[in-house]
Amino acid sequence: MTILDKPVRLGLGAALLSCCAVSALAQDYTITVWSGGTGDDSNYRYDAIGMAAEILEREAEIRGEELNITVESQAWSGWDDFKQAFTLAAEAGNAPDILVSGHEDIGPWSEAGLIVPIEDYTFFDVWPLSSIYPNLIDVASYNGQIWGVPQDAEARVMYWSIPALEAIGWSAEEIESLPARVESGEFTLYDMLDAVKQMQDEGVIEAGMGFGPRVSNGPDYWQFYQSFGGEMADPETGKLVVDTEALTGMYQFFTDAAEMGVVSDTHLGTEWDSWHQNAASGNYGVWHGGTWHYAQWTNQFGLEDFFGTVQYTLIPAGDENGRANSITHPLVYLLTSAASEDEAMIAAELIAIASEPRINALHAVKSAHLGISEAETLVPIYADDRWLSAASERLAPHTNAIPNNSDFGTYWTAMFDGLEASWTGVTSVEDAVSEVEANVTQALGDDVIVR
Amino acid sequence: MMSSFAKPMTDGTARATRRPTRRKARGHVSGLGLLMMAPALIMLLAFFFTPVALTGVFAFTDLSTSTGIGRGTFVITPTDLRQLRDRGLTEDEALAISAATYSVDDAGLAAARAAGADAAFVDQIAERLTGESYEDQRDFERVLRDLPAAPRSPRAIKSAAEAFGQSVLNRRHETRDALAAQLDATAPDLSDAVRDMVLDASYTGAVFTTENFTRLATQPETGRLIANTALYVGATLSVFNVGLGLFLAIVLFYMPKPVTGFFSTVWLLPRITPVVLYTIMWKWFTWEDGFLPILAEQVGLPSFNYMKGSVVTAWMTMISVNGFIGASFGLILFSGALRAIPVQQLWASEVDGATRLQQVRRIILPQMRWPILFVTAYQTLSLLSSYEQIWLTTNGGPGKTTTVWALEAFKTALSNYSGNLEYGMGAAMALILVVVGLALSIIYLMIFKFGELVSRPKIEF
Repeated sequence: MTILDKPVRLGLGAALLSCCAVSALAQDYTITVWSGGTGDDSNYRYDAIGMAAEILEREAEIRGEELNITVESQAWSGWDDFKQAFTLAAEAGNAPDILVSGHEDIGPWSEAGLIVPIEDYTFFDVWPLSSIYPNLIDVASYNGQIWGVPQDAEARVMYWSIPALEAIGWSAEEIESLPARVESGEFTLYDMLDAVKQMQDEGVIEAGMGFGPRVSNGPDYWQFYQSFGGEMADPETGKLVVDTEALTGMYQFFTDAAEMGVVSDTHLGTEWDSWHQNAASGNYGVWHGGTWHYAQWTNQFGLEDFFGTVQYTLIPAGDENGRANSITHPLVYLLTSAASEDEAMIAAELIAIASEPRINALHAVKSAHLGISEAETLVPIYADDRWLSAASERLAPHTNAIPNNSDFGTYWTAMFDGLEASWTGVTSVEDAVSEVEANVTQALGDDVIVR
Repeated sequence: MMSSFAKPMTDGTARATRRPTRRKARGHVSGLGLLMMAPALIMLLAFFFTPVALTGVFAFTDLSTSTGIGRGTFVITPTDLRQLRDRGLTEDEALAISAATYSVDDAGLAAARAAGADAAFVDQIAERLTGESYEDQRDFERVLRDLPAAPRSPRAIKSAAEAFGQSVLNRRHETRDALAAQLDATAPDLSDAVRDMVLDASYTGAVFTTENFTRLATQPETGRLIANTALYVGATLSVFNVGLGLFLAIVLFYMPKPVTGFFSTVWLLPRITPVVLYTIMWKWFTWEDGFLPILAEQVGLPSFNYMKGSVVTAWMTMISVNGFIGASFGLILFSGALRAIPVQQLWASEVDGATRLQQVRRIILPQMRWPILFVTAYQTLSLLSSYEQIWLTTNGGPGKTTTVWALEAFKTALSNYSGNLEYGMGAAMALILVVVGLALSIIYLMIFKFGELVSRPKIEF
């Protein structure tokens, strides 16, 4: 005998079943995003994922499914602490699902199994991923697999103070033709040093402020290596290349600059804020930075008439071996192995949606990074942005990227140590170069070619 | 029933009666004593011996970001094949290993069904694609996706494709045997030697090596690091921890008590202020537009960022930042020791007409020998391993001019711009620090005649 009669039992059963059905339909996901090197102007590095989640939820709703996605994001302003935090969190099993980091991390992180190839979760021949420039996809690939989706591109720029150039007697035509002269290799880094020395000698620019290089480690310094003919990796074998002649040229250039008194020998380690302030106020004669610095100077550091006061070119060639160049350093969305299969599917879809031209253009314009697809350059907010169009045209075609190679970090650290040591005068240029050579060959053995 | 408190008493009586064999009786380990010591022993084990032992183990590995910390997996990548070609792998062998063929046959269809692919989808594959074969995984996937019954999820398509595939490249395997089986299926003609070489190279985890120590012993940078560390420890110790600490203690000793109390508290501030706050205060103090540069400008001295602007001022800042913390430690210890000096000696010397300086030289300093040695010993060890304040202020710069051993070890293992953290190398550097610390401790114990200090007093109290 049962206490309940049949209709009641049936009704309860149906109610229970419908509960199950509802809970089976409603899917809840929490996707965590960590974004490195992210400042006030680059909030769309993670906000784009939030926007994508909203779109994906609406798409699910139309299909009759209930999908709830909570996006939790963390922005990291620096790189050292971000990479440390991610690697340690990943080893401890607390990694986020999506990571925004430099493409050079793909090498070591993929080998360690900390990230998974994103091409396993999404199709790259389907829009919008199919519209991304193929060279950017190459930058996000390693070992024949695509590991990430490029979020932006950029170029690194040599900036010139127009008022300072005018003050030492440059004509409007000379200033106008500078980008072309730099590009052809006619105007070299040493010509630049002569110009800024003249600025200082004539009292146009304060002593020691003629040349304002980047204040910390970064891909920028590899541009100067390329200016003296250096190659980071051998295109045939993929092996890293230590070109001692180019390293010597590069180190000698910075040592000479310090000896001429156009930059202090302790310039590395200056605070970023004071560097930005000097750059934006026209205190430097010539300085180099990224396309995205434009956003910081005009938004935060009070630079009003950028195009009237600043000329911009590629990084000039150093000698006849090298070439004028620029490096692009796309950040990429990566999927970590911490995500479950379902979460990884969702995360990959979010990344794909966030890469749609309109959403990505928000990031590009606000942060002054370059777009990732032809279609993005047609989005009105992007197309109307004078700086992005100008930089895309003058700089982007000449950019290359640092190699994806799990050993590149070792070489990079050694290269920068050598630069610091010779620049500050702790060691001679020759010793610094042979130290780099010794360190790199000792650590990497046959995997590096020394020229 | 005898309470445990009674035990020491009985022990005591026993000791009193059996006086000649007292030493042996003292060697008896009391259960209660062990129990009381247990937390300390556990802490010692957990926070000293285990980390040191682990550091010792990691120091002999090539552990890094790219090997990961846990157990590695087995995967053959195109990079591995490129590297293996340098070690004798022929072009044909590399091609055989990297070749991928996707053939739609009965075995593949069965595998796809077994892998849980949708039945209708598999039927369609059987119906439309049987007998086809593809060289490239992406091409095959594209064909699969074009089938009307194809699932929406890329993952499902990929796993279906894998059922027909024989590629060994870029497939992660948990064990060497699993990869070996896959390799045998893909490239059955490999010789055993080549096969083993490929399998060895496919391991992604860390391996044991003495490479770290060879590198440390031969790289020129090591010399510079040692010199920097010696300068840092030596200068901080002599100028601040001992010199300033002793000076302050003696000055305060001669001051009226309320003044002493006030100044002691002021000197304690650097020690009790949180490190980050303390270093920020130093930044305000030394940077452009900070207190020192503004003051310097007023009096016509060179005004610039003293913390990072020149090698000499960077060193002075770095030593001061750490020194002011150490000085307070010396101050406390020396003040205590000073109070232990019988004040009658000072009175007597004053009667004899001794000046303050003579008192310090002839009475105070000779009696302060032990505390001075102790502060020197203790602070050498803590300065050797300290890097936080340096990291937060000069960060070892400008250039690498103020980089000391401990900071370099930290950066190598845990913090660098290019993100390639070399845990093994960092551990090797830390191990050397531990060894140096232990050696110094032993030397100091010998100098202090530690045996005499802990020996039983000659007079029984």
